[in-house]
Amino acid sequence: MTAHANILTPGTLADTAAARVTVTAAPGRLSLRARGELGAIEGALGLSLPGKIGGRSQDNGIEALCLGPDEWVLLTAPENVASVVAAAAAVYDAHPHSLVDVSARETTVAIDGPRVLDLLCLGMARDPESIAEGEGRRTLFDGQTVLLWRDGATKFRMDVWHSFAPHLLGLLEIGCRELAAETL
Amino acid sequence: MSKYRVSGRGRIDTSRPVSFTFDGKRIKGAKGDTVASALLANGIHLMGRSFKYHRPRGAVAAGSEEPNALIGTRRGPGRFEPNTRATVQEIWEGLETNSQNKFPSLKFDVGAVNDAAYMMFSAGFYYKTFMWPRSFWDKVYEPFIRAAAGLGVSPKEEDPDTYASRNAFCDVLVIGSGPAGLAAARAAAVEGLKVVLVDENAEAGGTLLSEPQAVIDGKPAWDWLSSELAALKAAGVKIMTRTTAIAYYHQNLIGLVEKLSDHLEVLPQDTPRERLWRMRAKQVVLAQGALEKPLVFHGNDRPGVMLAGSAQTYLNRYGVLVGTSPAVVTSHDSAWFSAFDLADAGAKVQAIVDTRSEIRQELLDGAKSRGIRVLAGYTATGTEGRLRVKSVRVNPMQSGKVGAPETISCDALLMSGGWTPSLHLFSHTQGKLAWDDDRTTFLPDYTPEDCVIAGAGRGLWGIAAALADGAEKGQQAVEALGRSAIAAVPAVKNDRTGTGVSHKELPTDLSPGKAKAFVDYQNDVTAKDLRLAVREGMKSIEHVKRYTTNGMATDQGKMSNINGLNIASDALGRKQPQVGLTTFRPPYTPTTFGAFAGYHRGGHFEVTRKTRIDSWAAENGAVFEPVSQWRRAWYFPKAGETMDQAVARECAATRSSVGIFDASTLGKIEVVGPDAVEFMNRMYTNPWTKLGVNRCRYGLLLGDDGFIRDDGVIGRMGQDKFHVTTTTGGAARVLNMMEDYLQTEWPDLNVWLTSTTEQWSTIALNGPNAAKLLAPLVEGVELTEEAFPHMSCVECTVAGMPARLFRVSFTGEIGFEVNVPAPMGRQLWETLWKAGEQYGITAYGTETMHVLRAEKGYIIVGQDTDGTVTPDDAGMAWAIGKAKPDFVGKRGLARPDLTAKGRKQLVGLLTEDGSKLEEGAQIVFDPAQPVPMKMVGHVTSSYDTGTTGRPIALALVEGGHDRMGETVHIPMPDRTIAAKITGTVFYDPENAKLKI
Repeated sequence: MTAHANILTPGTLADTAAARVTVTAAPGRLSLRARGELGAIEGALGLSLPGKIGGRSQDNGIEALCLGPDEWVLLTAPENVASVVAAAAAVYDAHPHSLVDVSARETTVAIDGPRVLDLLCLGMARDPESIAEGEGRRTLFDGQTVLLWRDGATKFRMDVWHSFAPHLLGLLEIGCRELAAETL
Repeated sequence: MSKYRVSGRGRIDTSRPVSFTFDGKRIKGAKGDTVASALLANGIHLMGRSFKYHRPRGAVAAGSEEPNALIGTRRGPGRFEPNTRATVQEIWEGLETNSQNKFPSLKFDVGAVNDAAYMMFSAGFYYKTFMWPRSFWDKVYEPFIRAAAGLGVSPKEEDPDTYASRNAFCDVLVIGSGPAGLAAARAAAVEGLKVVLVDENAEAGGTLLSEPQAVIDGKPAWDWLSSELAALKAAGVKIMTRTTAIAYYHQNLIGLVEKLSDHLEVLPQDTPRERLWRMRAKQVVLAQGALEKPLVFHGNDRPGVMLAGSAQTYLNRYGVLVGTSPAVVTSHDSAWFSAFDLADAGAKVQAIVDTRSEIRQELLDGAKSRGIRVLAGYTATGTEGRLRVKSVRVNPMQSGKVGAPETISCDALLMSGGWTPSLHLFSHTQGKLAWDDDRTTFLPDYTPEDCVIAGAGRGLWGIAAALADGAEKGQQAVEALGRSAIAAVPAVKNDRTGTGVSHKELPTDLSPGKAKAFVDYQNDVTAKDLRLAVREGMKSIEHVKRYTTNGMATDQGKMSNINGLNIASDALGRKQPQVGLTTFRPPYTPTTFGAFAGYHRGGHFEVTRKTRIDSWAAENGAVFEPVSQWRRAWYFPKAGETMDQAVARECAATRSSVGIFDASTLGKIEVVGPDAVEFMNRMYTNPWTKLGVNRCRYGLLLGDDGFIRDDGVIGRMGQDKFHVTTTTGGAARVLNMMEDYLQTEWPDLNVWLTSTTEQWSTIALNGPNAAKLLAPLVEGVELTEEAFPHMSCVECTVAGMPARLFRVSFTGEIGFEVNVPAPMGRQLWETLWKAGEQYGITAYGTETMHVLRAEKGYIIVGQDTDGTVTPDDAGMAWAIGKAKPDFVGKRGLARPDLTAKGRKQLVGLLTEDGSKLEEGAQIVFDPAQPVPMKMVGHVTSSYDTGTTGRPIALALVEGGHDRMGETVHIPMPDRTIAAKITGTVFYDPENAKLKI
């Protein structure tokens, strides 16, 4: 197998005094859609699903972020995807839902550093402070739909579809340099 | 030091000399100077030529409202900016500046003949002159107008600077850092509130920078200012200078442009030239102050004639005397103080000429103690001096009559026609204005935004009043946020309060018809022009403005609006509010394109989506074409091949052996849920209930109007699971449309949609050897006619990768589409490439794909359809599930117009002379009919190099389906081409080639 290194290959893209941007290895990623009493699905997943949009939960090797009234994204280790899909399929008749494997759809970047909030403001019209630590949002960055996970005060993850990633990473790289050159 | 530089005055640092060039001449200034202040310090008033009459002009103001002193600035290759205001541009060592609109030189300009011929260039000149003859428009008039239009020279080189943009958020944004803004920011600086104070100037302070005599809280104004700024910073207020609030958008979104490097000698690394801030503020305090108005009289534009307040600014802020023997003409008290300051700095003030006959005693005393002659109840009727004013002509006014003239010598003329509150941003909020008759100006009334306006911006005058009002408004903003604030109002001594009156053009004893009394300096509009516009029937200020161009220059009438309104209202005999005020629009001051473009330039201009196979195409010499946001391989030329040759080779190779194509950009939607099949039945025209698992079908999507919107092959991967494909460009649109229906019309359906466009890399293999190539790599299904017939789909393994395999054909050949997880796309491509070498596998691009499908009569939505084509028009009535109770577009299709005879229908065209038709060419039935001919359709697709041995075309033709075999005509510029109407299938109509 030939490796084709490109901007989406895991590794650090930018690292300045202001912020650091790193493409991470892609996790297993599933889009879950369901409504009503979710007990059966939660039982199958071994995870209680967050009910509030932007809320997150984590259990049984799965991390969930609520994106809409009937929508969650689930992250798990790539090798767990098949068993998660199988477990959910087992309760499909009892509780119909949609669980679609989108592990191959997106690029994830980790963004951290002292100026990370300002870096996000380069491309995001939402106040990053409005996302509490431990929460996440689906929002726009530089015009593209992204999922933003706030893991700490100055620690974020951003998920974006592959084909939009180079554009978006380009702005993050520019931003890391621009912010590092700023005198506050 | 020049006699115009006053030592001990101003905020410039004379210990740090800075030199720059103006029209190639080296000029010495000091750190802190603007180009204008440095030129004035060297006794240079002449800074440019006016737009229309090429009249010599100098700086009339000291700030961003300057209409005259527009220069070109340059910092090496590409870094050239025309129309920079000399009053704003700070100097740095080595800055190159140039005057504009002059030839051959600023002092002697040929274009000034326009000035002599000024009687010709009256209001509406262009409208009147260039009306006839009509034939002159294209060759003579338009090129002439275009050549004459615009001031300054457009930069031609690429701009090497970078520009940035950033979103920001605050609780209180204060715009303007004069006394009102400072007090508002201080009041708002409550614990926990994020307060931002912005100012367009290089330094915060506003009026205080020009009024050092004031004493605030017992401190000299400048000392108070620095301690106040320090206190604000300590309280966490963010102070942004060189930052112009250019626009007030909806819901308190303010556009701020911060200039970061135009004032620097050395450009810092990684630093943009400008940054556009999109500031979302919970509360806004507008404290933008007021702008001084000129007086309108003959010769009021001569270099050396300037606003009195600006002269005061040049003295107190820059240490520059604009003249050593100035005269003053005013209708407002403020100019008296300017005269006093200049006199105290050593100027011999020749006279203070006031249009009012009653003057406050305090002012008269001030003049007397300085030995300044006072002429009260006078008018100004002219100035003299070629490149700089040398005298002013004044006349007494007695009981409405203009008396005998007197000439007063001067080397500068300071004028003041009163002050106009700066209401630009307030107007951007859709705020309502109220006319104040006493002050002859508009004042802010109501705004729908969370915004208050403080200080001179709402007509208040004096530092004490501005401080008190700012504090109150800052407090109000804090209270609106549910917090409380205590605002202390500082005590002020040596404040300069005052009043004034506002005028139309000043009375004169000379012919008003010959007066060059300028109202709009930048667009060279005179009082006479405005009166002419009214005489010629313009009744609203909106019409007067457009007819005369008053207020339409880049300064947006900052100086001219109220004077223009006063004159128009006088000419019309109606009150000002009945004549109206023109609308202020963003941006407040001229703004670079760079600031608006921000990061979106060069490689970052717009998203270019690339598939995971794109890199192979690039390495293998593909020529690309944009398809919506994607770049797709268009064709793969070999060395020396033209596009036609490459496409012909790719087509032939695919038809004779096997071709490989990257179809990853196709939209893909996973439709899952117990009601999936019902949802499909309702969305698409086709019936889905009986489609078996592992079978696929061509789906046609209509809008509710019955017209074709999208199409694609749809596979049933499970009882409750469909793999929908859409066109490349339609992917997002189709998903949105489906979600719209699902969420608003059918929320009861248990079905969910997930975009999987980018989950999969999709590779199409087409050609007689496609199955032979692929079969050895596939596990889980036999690629035989029996086990995997045309229009089958299955989850299986291809080359060891998890795959969704479709047997479909968009070429008429045996065809497969292999979907694998996106990042594996290139690996699969290379595996197939290697396996295909024995068959001479050929990569083809979108052009070959288009040709091959056209030969089979397969439509491309958006090319062969244009939003007005029904399934029947496209010859695809077969795709409609007639037994279905409903689907999107069913009712639309029943409309009489959509079932009427004579609709444009999709047909094939074969030219009689074997030439290729032009896509988009119009079609007529009778080429002998008179022009304009009745057009009955157009060519939608046309290809030269295919595999059928002759050019083919698809076209929409009126009643085309009933005209098989008839001849139609396509008129072209050089000839008319005859073509025969045929069916749309040009290749293998029996579909024999689809079979393995």
